[in-house]
Amino acid sequence: MKGKKRVLKQLQKLLNGELAARDQYFAHSRMYEDWGLGKLYERIDHEMQEETEHADAIIKRMLFLETQPDYSQQDKVRVGASVTEMLKNDLEVEYEVTDLLKKSIAICEAEQDYETREILEKLLEDTEMDHAYWLEQQLGLIKKVGLKNYLQSQM
Amino acid sequence: MPAIPSRIASTFFFIKLKEASQVKGDNQVLVALNRSLKDQITAINQLFMHARIARNWGLKRLNDYEYQQSIVAMKMADDLIERVLFLEGLPNLQDPGKLMIGENVPEILKGDLKLMTRVREGLQEAIRTAEAARDFVSREILDEGLEQTEEQIDWIETQQWLIENSGLENYLQSLMEEA
Repeated sequence: MKGKKRVLKQLQKLLNGELAARDQYFAHSRMYEDWGLGKLYERIDHEMQEETEHADAIIKRMLFLETQPDYSQQDKVRVGASVTEMLKNDLEVEYEVTDLLKKSIAICEAEQDYETREILEKLLEDTEMDHAYWLEQQLGLIKKVGLKNYLQSQM
Repeated sequence: MPAIPSRIASTFFFIKLKEASQVKGDNQVLVALNRSLKDQITAINQLFMHARIARNWGLKRLNDYEYQQSIVAMKMADDLIERVLFLEGLPNLQDPGKLMIGENVPEILKGDLKLMTRVREGLQEAIRTAEAARDFVSREILDEGLEQTEEQIDWIETQQWLIENSGLENYLQSLMEEA
């Protein structure tokens, strides 16, 4: 089944974002592990797996809509140098993905591609309620308990 | 049958339902039970709201505690409602008191302490009334509520001591993990 052009363009953009997010989480999780921050490692490693699942859903949909996904256009990865910076960079990515997903869902609706819309809605829920929310909470906790205490809790 | 407003209809229904019963509660006891009920309804709402605020901040342990205490208040309200109905009164759930919601953890604890202190005073008053009316079963129910309330007050005061002595940041850190 052939997909609508506008929908396919959005899916490619989303794939670029998901692949970059996956790599960023990959990099950050390994840094946390290296620093001995086991809890952050576990959480971010899990986020990496989820981003891979998101990319998987997009790739499968694109193939079904008879388009070859392009794996070479992935967005820039923003690796942070400190825990706070890493969390902030990750949150930035999640906000960008949220915006792009919302736009894409609106386009799917306009093009009557309801099945793609449904797939993206699931991604939006993960992005908002799981990833972005958790990152916001961590940055809030750093403010509340102080960075040293926060890091101690992540050992 | 002509249509009557549902509020009135349910009251009629309620009166009819209890016509055959032998036990009528003392008026003052009913008033006291309803006052305590109002306090418990306020407590359910305030504690539940505080639980979810704490969860939103990532303070899981505080969320668990406030949630548990909200459920304790709900069970107490349940006992009071059942007693009032048995005594052929009308439990008043329409008019919960003002909530004291905090914007940070020390404020949350302060608001809860204020609320629990008021709950305690209401219960003491109600116990006195029940004793005077020789309604010993109501008294027993209220007494159980008083015990729980004092436990809650004790917990809050312990937290305030911990904040003072371990420092707010350390204290908050210890609320991050589930108990």
